[in-house]
Amino acid sequence: MAILEVNNLVKRFGGLVAVHDLDMTVNEGETLGLIGPNGAGKTTLFNMVAGYYRPDKGQVIFQDHDITGLKPYEVCRRGIGRTFQTTKPFLDISILENVVIGGFMQAHSTAEARRAAQDALDILELSDRVETLGSELTVPDRKRLEIARALATGAKLLLLDEPMAGLTPSEKGHASELLRKISGQGITLVIVEHDMKVVMTLCSRIILMDRGEKLLEGSPKEVSSDPRAITAYLGEEYTVSG
Amino acid sequence: MKQNRGIEALGERLRTRQIPLGWVIIAVVLILLIIVPFAWKDNSYYVHIVITIFIWGYMATAWGLVGQSGQLSFGHAAFMGIGAYTTGILYSQFGVTPWLGVFVAIGLATLGGVIIGIPTLRLRGVYFALATFAFGFIILMIVKNATYIGPVYIGGGAFLTLPRAGQAPAVFQFESKTPYYFMALAMLAGIVYLSHWFNRSRMGFYWTAIRGDQDAAESLGIDAAKYRLRAFLISCALTGLGGAFFMQYFRFFSPQKVLDVSQSIQIALIGIVGGWQSVFGPMIGGFIIVPVAELLRLNLGAFPAMSPIIYGIILMLFILFMPNGVNEPFMRGLNWLERKYWRPSQNANNENNEKVGRQ
Repeated sequence: MAILEVNNLVKRFGGLVAVHDLDMTVNEGETLGLIGPNGAGKTTLFNMVAGYYRPDKGQVIFQDHDITGLKPYEVCRRGIGRTFQTTKPFLDISILENVVIGGFMQAHSTAEARRAAQDALDILELSDRVETLGSELTVPDRKRLEIARALATGAKLLLLDEPMAGLTPSEKGHASELLRKISGQGITLVIVEHDMKVVMTLCSRIILMDRGEKLLEGSPKEVSSDPRAITAYLGEEYTVSG
Repeated sequence: MKQNRGIEALGERLRTRQIPLGWVIIAVVLILLIIVPFAWKDNSYYVHIVITIFIWGYMATAWGLVGQSGQLSFGHAAFMGIGAYTTGILYSQFGVTPWLGVFVAIGLATLGGVIIGIPTLRLRGVYFALATFAFGFIILMIVKNATYIGPVYIGGGAFLTLPRAGQAPAVFQFESKTPYYFMALAMLAGIVYLSHWFNRSRMGFYWTAIRGDQDAAESLGIDAAKYRLRAFLISCALTGLGGAFFMQYFRFFSPQKVLDVSQSIQIALIGIVGGWQSVFGPMIGGFIIVPVAELLRLNLGAFPAMSPIIYGIILMLFILFMPNGVNEPFMRGLNWLERKYWRPSQNANNENNEKVGRQ
């Protein structure tokens, strides 16, 4: 069953068409990878779904409701959380306070918000350093904090913009584990990511974008063996034989 | 008996250091401030200076609520002036007691906030700061140049005075400075507590988030424009209340005294020197800037143009070298004292607790 549908979405910046007539369906509970070269329109698509850009044309349907053109905070209230390519932790407060702010989304009291925050911090394995200030965090911790914050809002769908960028291979392995754990809780994930190893192992389905359009869609195996994917983005090394 | 048990319990909590050092210092300072008017009974000049510190500390703390939501206002004298003129005119021309007039003052100051806040707080960047500056200027020009607004005489820039009523608590006038002193102290303590309470509330968390990063805040379901507007309107209302008190204390008003751009700058200066995004900073700023201003006035009275120049230099130095104001080193010192002497045996977790920089 589709949790998110994007129909004929268009976004232009002056003469540049960043996203052109894009259709996309995200099924409930799946982990969808969104790949493509820089400038393909992946982040623009995220920004339209999350309410940061208003589409010039098209529709965004979330859980059967039209959310096209809603403000970012309204989109969050509908159940879509997001992270940013360049992380944006609140620097002068602690990890716990950062996540409590997300927790207020679904809470009636500070105690409830704290509980939601604690649950998210447990999943992201940040519970042992809740008092660390946002300004003192390493890149992997900043990435995890953002996911925890979005998760604490009670989001059903998370849009993760390059969650692996800046991480070492071992950190990526750990981050993949955490994302699997989140997915295991029934949360739908859409991941923009350049690390193909991560995408191939984590995602059940992949959409390849190029120049604002959807070039391909399919399982990791289908996409990685398609000549068009190899030409547009992957290169020869990702060819899967047999 | 019950009271004794309460005192014993308090003593026990102090001995076992369960009360943070910050609260103990606040209590000591409050007790000292309560003693001041009795100790300086024969010197009403000092008492007057301390009242002035309270008033400006109050104004800057009210102004600081806007800072907590990440915005700067350079027109707060407008709201102070609206408060002062409203209660002053209602009493002197219509005989309305300031106890009632203050509610009208608060209402009108809030209305002023609505007029500039709604269109500008939706925009990002400097528009809000510019709009507050422009609003302050417009109100100043109106009051300076109009003699009447409808049936209300506003003086066209002239000095207006409140009719003296002697010792008359019913119209908020007293012979001695002491009642004003305690009222101003209560207002300052009240607003700092309120600011602290806001800071720890859901709204305070939202202000911190908006101040930190608006995009990130909105991704967490926070309507940034709405919460910034709330911060601004609460600030306007409280500044209007402060203006009303200002009026009752000084008993004369003119555009220069309560509406001038220099008054807006003074409020902002105190806030910035103290720490414009913090709870206690603006109050600390009041305790620093008001005595400095008074010393300048006494020593450079013959050169009135010097004060704004010195203010400007102080402001530049703070923006360059201490953008978070004296509050930051003050809090760091307090944390150090707490760790080193007050609760040396507490574990690292508690140290971090105190480190959270939201005060």
